[in-house]
Amino acid sequence: MISFKNVNKWYGELHVLNSIDLEVEKGEVIVVCGPSGSGKSTLIRCINRLEPIQKGELIVDGMKVHDKKTNMTKIRAEIGFIFQSFNLYPHMTALGNVTIAPMKVRNIPKKEAEKLGREKLTRVGLEDRIDHYPAQLSGGQQQRVAIARGLSMQPKIMLFDEPTSALDPEMIHEVLDVMRDLAKEGMTMMAVTHEMGFAREVASRVVFMDEGQIIEVAPPNDFFTKPQSERGKAFLKSILTH
Amino acid sequence: MWGFYFNELIRSLPFFLKGVWMTVAVAGLSLIFGTIIGFIAGIIRAGRNKPARIIIGAWVDLIRGTPFLVQIFVIFFILPGIGIELDAFPAAVIALTNLTASFITEIVAGGILAVPKGQREAATASGLSHYQQLRFIVLPQAIRSILPPLVGQYVLLVKDSSVVSAIGVVDITRVGWLTVQRIPEGLMVFGLVGLLYFAICYPLINLSGFLERRMTVVSTKL
Amino acid sequence: MLEGFNFRIILEYMPLYMQCFLATLWLSGLSLFGAVVVGIIACAMRLSQSRILRGIAGVYIESIRSTPLLAQLYFFYFGLPSMGIMLPEWVTGVIALTLNSGAYYAEIIRSGIKAIDFGQIEAGIASGLSYFQRMRYIILPQALGNTIRPMLGQAIILVKDSSLLSLISIMELTRAGQVLTSERFTPAEGFLTTAAFYLIIYYMLKAFSGWSEKRLIFREAH
Repeated sequence: MISFKNVNKWYGELHVLNSIDLEVEKGEVIVVCGPSGSGKSTLIRCINRLEPIQKGELIVDGMKVHDKKTNMTKIRAEIGFIFQSFNLYPHMTALGNVTIAPMKVRNIPKKEAEKLGREKLTRVGLEDRIDHYPAQLSGGQQQRVAIARGLSMQPKIMLFDEPTSALDPEMIHEVLDVMRDLAKEGMTMMAVTHEMGFAREVASRVVFMDEGQIIEVAPPNDFFTKPQSERGKAFLKSILTH
Repeated sequence: MWGFYFNELIRSLPFFLKGVWMTVAVAGLSLIFGTIIGFIAGIIRAGRNKPARIIIGAWVDLIRGTPFLVQIFVIFFILPGIGIELDAFPAAVIALTNLTASFITEIVAGGILAVPKGQREAATASGLSHYQQLRFIVLPQAIRSILPPLVGQYVLLVKDSSVVSAIGVVDITRVGWLTVQRIPEGLMVFGLVGLLYFAICYPLINLSGFLERRMTVVSTKL
Repeated sequence: MLEGFNFRIILEYMPLYMQCFLATLWLSGLSLFGAVVVGIIACAMRLSQSRILRGIAGVYIESIRSTPLLAQLYFFYFGLPSMGIMLPEWVTGVIALTLNSGAYYAEIIRSGIKAIDFGQIEAGIASGLSYFQRMRYIILPQALGNTIRPMLGQAIILVKDSSLLSLISIMELTRAGQVLTSERFTPAEGFLTTAAFYLIIYYMLKAFSGWSEKRLIFREAH
């Protein structure tokens, strides 16, 4: 589904992604973790070309993302992207946020799009907030609207960039619950997150990154109990002892 | 034909330069007087004297709510009725000074009110008088937010000065108007007029932008 | 003069004033509409990927901002005929007002767009919306909502600027004052009445600005 072959990216002199090789199969749930600055956010932002790569091949759903000539609209329609800071459109209701892309990118007629939108909002537990504006919603609710917004395009892949990092602790679980359900239903997902409980429960594999490189890839139980790399061990120690 | 007009235009350049001098004179004098009056009025407007604040506020509203052209006509045509005979040039300077002062009043008042209240509270607590607070604490900080819009106002002043041509002051615009009667190539003549104003205003606009960036950097360093 | 303030003359000229009041409203309104359209287009050009479009918009905006409206008005009034284009004065006036305010609207909208959190634009990109779709549904609605106050401020300026149209013989409010003054030698009655009408428009627009800010109050998430 997603294939990184020797992907490299630089910001000026800084080598933010270094020789990345990774294959993600359909239905897999990949959790990407690592210290800050490791390039994990950059990694998933490259998948829908929010960030371009300079070297290597990145193939998503059979289409070449690294090729400048590729029309990204089609690819982006198949990928739902959830941001750390939600990025909901403040001038539209929850329903508005969720239906704009299906109507304008997939050209679904308004009635149908709204039906679909209501369905997705109900799915994330917000059926009574459909006509609310983002400013009237809590952080956890906003992020769930963002997830419904991603799902309304009926994508093949869902990407999450630190979805719970900006939330107050008591709201984290409501978002993770939705993500967990999605994983159990077989959605192909890649999530950058520090929520290790979530990783242990639903991840097929954990990708540990540091300084732009993939250091270790292993099933969650293996990684959390028996990390192979020195840096992996150090990282786990630092997050478990704070 | 076009070539002939172009030559005539070149020969009119000294006349245009006189116009530039006139524009600079009218704008310059108004700038000086307007700034002085504007600062004083602005300080009062941001002060404690409520009646004074209301009166100045009403004056500012009056000036902002009416076109400058009408204001010039009022000053030039009506003042003689109450005994003040004015030539075009002094009337122009008075009107432009009045206009500029009213806008600067708001800029200065806004800058003063933007200084955090805590500053004045600290100054009062340490025993400084109202005047001392203003002089040593409030104004130095207010200047930072006053300077960029102030320079912006000077650009507006130069542009508004073109309106005084309506009462016969021979500034750049009036020179253009007089010239185009002889040289009926409106594009060329007013193209030159535009260029002359551009030469004055464009650097000032950039100065205002530059100041805005400088001022923000300085305050974050604090 | 003040004792002899002749209300009877004003009453006599009231039909003329009313007609000219409507003319001012109509000319300003038309130009306002045109200016917002021009402003949106110029702003979109200014922010586009194409260097050529950016350049054209940039030249347009900087030329307008660095030159006085009166010079621009005369440029069209004298320049268009010299190119063989003969237009009724009011059309020339509307063109000048539209192009002038259009440049300022472009800048206002641009600052409104800059104030939008970039993350939402990324969300738009990520869901596959094109540049135009992002502009139309996400960016412009918010930019226009953010900038209601400066937009209405520019509208007030435009109404005042329309007074300059009197100098190219268009019958609007200021010209009404000139007519009364020249026919009856009563500049006070003439221009103060004109000023009063402008003040009516000014206060109406100010009230509208306050009302619309409350209604369309821009809801920011968080």
